[in-house]
Amino acid sequence: MELREILKKIVLLGDGGVGKTSLIARYVVNKFDDKYIATIGTKVSKKDIQVVKPNLIVNLRMMIWDILGQKEYSKIRTSSLSGAQGVILVADLSRPETVNNLQSFWLKEVQQVVGKVPTVMVGNKTDMVDKGSMAATILESTGQKLGIPTLLSSAKTGENVEEMFLTLGDILVADVVAAQPRAKEKAPQTLAEVVDFIIQDFCAQYGDLEKAMLIVQHQFEDAGVDIRRPSKEAVLQALDGLAKAEELSLTKSVARVNLEERQRMVILSKG
Amino acid sequence: MEQDIRIETLIIMSVAIFAVLAVVAFVVPFEDQETKLFFIAVVAALTGINVVGLFMVWRSSPTIVDEVFLMTPTGMLLKHYTRRLRPDQDEDILAGMLTAVQNFIRDSFDEAGGRLNEIRFENYDILISHGKSIVIAAIISTKKPERLRDQLKTATADLEAEFGDRIAKWTGDKKDLGDVDVIMKRFLSGKYRR
Repeated sequence: MELREILKKIVLLGDGGVGKTSLIARYVVNKFDDKYIATIGTKVSKKDIQVVKPNLIVNLRMMIWDILGQKEYSKIRTSSLSGAQGVILVADLSRPETVNNLQSFWLKEVQQVVGKVPTVMVGNKTDMVDKGSMAATILESTGQKLGIPTLLSSAKTGENVEEMFLTLGDILVADVVAAQPRAKEKAPQTLAEVVDFIIQDFCAQYGDLEKAMLIVQHQFEDAGVDIRRPSKEAVLQALDGLAKAEELSLTKSVARVNLEERQRMVILSKG
Repeated sequence: MEQDIRIETLIIMSVAIFAVLAVVAFVVPFEDQETKLFFIAVVAALTGINVVGLFMVWRSSPTIVDEVFLMTPTGMLLKHYTRRLRPDQDEDILAGMLTAVQNFIRDSFDEAGGRLNEIRFENYDILISHGKSIVIAAIISTKKPERLRDQLKTATADLEAEFGDRIAKWTGDKKDLGDVDVIMKRFLSGKYRR
């Protein structure tokens, strides 16, 4: 299974007060106070999602730029919008004019600055307005006309908030496919070769070589792995520790896939 | 190793050695005047060597770079290097906010599209260098930021020349980034030269 790490810049846009900030508040990694949106016009947070494809796991990190919704601040908005690779346009279903503005103002501005990029339109505050309301109908028909997915959400109840990111994430990585399978490499034979392969594989997936080596060293010491003459039992024990580290640095499912593959290699190895 | 020795430690050691030798030269009764003069000459020579040595150590000691953010001009973090572990820090978000602050200042104060090149906060200096496709922000806590400016510009120009086209077309896939570590780690050492 191939693992890819992809970073994308996402911008949240929509009229002031439609609930952009509330919509993401509980679902993203926030490190800065919301007051920054009022003071410098922008706040950056992030959302990690995982997209599983045939022979490929994509760990998608979306850097979310929440931008001041007041239309007057076009200069700051344009700077923040620059380089956006995806957009979430948000409207307030209890204020139909905000739905109309998605196409007449926000979408136009996005296309002027970054061209056509993956977009999702969201009608927020379904806890206040019926889903069959005129505003919701207009939003859905606009989305259909423009070929943009639409979702009705509520920041208050959490309805469709996660889906909003998953929908955009799927579009963002739609053209990412697993690399062509290479000619089958010679599988490691002895346990020492397998251990060497596991260390290299762990470091490559972890990203930071120095930190990865420290983790390997620590886990091997804890499990009592003698690197010159390793035993299968000790190596298998160390693999559990490495998997726990990968759960934190990668994701649980990737860690599990790696663990099973490595366990299989150790068990089948000679020595 | 050179980086681990603080200049203050060297000064204290030199003063201590000089004091001991001076006490020996002037307090201990020598048998004859020639021996005393010889000893004083040795003390003077050692002191001179010390002063020259201190000056050379100060000149050659690198400016310590605490953290480096390699980013795109749109605020996407390409690589982050640090000497400190700050578990509460999220480097991706910090890189984005650093860019947002630069945008805010540029849009608010400079109609001609100037750039923010330095931020000072207490003991920290954040030096920022802008290329066409990359931005490097270096956080330093030592007192010689001026030395780093030229190195930062050189490293930025070298990265731009080698990886600029690739980064300009970068789609966000980390495997397509290229090996920027060679240049960045040399810069992080505080002794970057072409």
